[in-house]
Amino acid sequence: MKFKDYYETLGVARGATEADIKSAYRKLARKYHPDVNKEKDAEERFKEVGEAYAVLKDTEKRAAYDQMGSNWKSGQDFTPPPNWNEGFEFSDGGFGGGGYEGDQSEFFESLFGRGKHRQGGRSGHSRQDQGMHFKGQDHHAKILIDLADAYNGAKRTIALHMPTLDASGHVITQERKLDVSIPKGIKAGQNLRLSGQGGPGMGEGGAGDLYLEIDFHPNPIYRVDGKDVYLDLPLAPWEVALGTTVKVPTPAGTTLELTIPANTIAGRKMRLKGKGIPSKEPGDLYVVTIIATPPADTDAQKEAYQAFEKAFEFNPRTHLKG
Amino acid sequence: MTQTNITWIEGAIVENEIHMSIVELSQAASTSEELIMAWVTEGVLSPTGSSPQDWRFGGDSLSRTKTAVRLSRDLEINTPGLALALQLLDQISDLRAQLVRIASSKKD
Repeated sequence: MKFKDYYETLGVARGATEADIKSAYRKLARKYHPDVNKEKDAEERFKEVGEAYAVLKDTEKRAAYDQMGSNWKSGQDFTPPPNWNEGFEFSDGGFGGGGYEGDQSEFFESLFGRGKHRQGGRSGHSRQDQGMHFKGQDHHAKILIDLADAYNGAKRTIALHMPTLDASGHVITQERKLDVSIPKGIKAGQNLRLSGQGGPGMGEGGAGDLYLEIDFHPNPIYRVDGKDVYLDLPLAPWEVALGTTVKVPTPAGTTLELTIPANTIAGRKMRLKGKGIPSKEPGDLYVVTIIATPPADTDAQKEAYQAFEKAFEFNPRTHLKG
Repeated sequence: MTQTNITWIEGAIVENEIHMSIVELSQAASTSEELIMAWVTEGVLSPTGSSPQDWRFGGDSLSRTKTAVRLSRDLEINTPGLALALQLLDQISDLRAQLVRIASSKKD
């Protein structure tokens, strides 16, 4: 396990005041909040910042953390000294909140224990319903599907991990497998509601629902924008100059024949109407031409380029006036 | 809960097919009806219908409400601030989409 320098995470000095810590946290939380920041590591950073703040904003935890000494460096191998927190009284039994999903690092758990988990993953607060009958909690999970599944529909078995408490009150992760039919035409960011697949109800209240938020696996060939899909199509210089017919793969798994007219320029966007993600009003598939030039390695290839140069009086930089 | 189902579970796409009542939305987004009412007043959410009992929230409301819940909880922003943040996030996402389209047409 690696040591975590919570002061470094928040970018404050060890002697920082509570106000300094709070303002440093707020600034970083706004910067890395996953709803605001779409960088890949934003969520990870947001959790780290939340964890650091959960310790440093809490006088008791901060004091306990501080007494381990300031010689530890971030990333250093770390085992908590025996009885390191002896004599510290934690009023909340550990977890202080502040994180995005409520999950903490191994380092945090080794010091402050594993916190009260949140039922149902992303759903935040538990409902305090009155009365004997109430509907079970709605649960949320995020799943990744292939773009092809949105085109064709698919049947997928998904595994969801759900933290729950066992009989002795320890947190265990239960795996639950669900066989889900992915409807044709679903798009990234949309939610699939599975009725009655959430938490169990009380009394005569039915079970809650399970919401699956859909996202696509990153695709090396296609870019997706809502219901429209983009494909870069590389073409050789002679193909764009003379025109040709090429085979273009679609995300549905089919192949289309596409005619490239003579003198097509790079960056030309050709719309294949209705070949985007299907729905009542289907999206479009855009094929964007790019020109790929082969390297001149052999003498014959060099001569071909020289002949090319002679045949054209071509200056691609006239607009630069250079 | 842990047993494997044999039949394929059919779901409904929230954004296309579902219009939620305030009770359903508050349950699905794990937040209070009071907060949802405050967000409607502020224009963060725009249901159809004239009174809270008749309100029907379109499918996009779920992800918007979930974002609103996270932002207000994690960053402790109040309702007017939240409305502004969501409006700016909408603008950013529109600009990002435009960027994708421009990048696709300007590629050499």
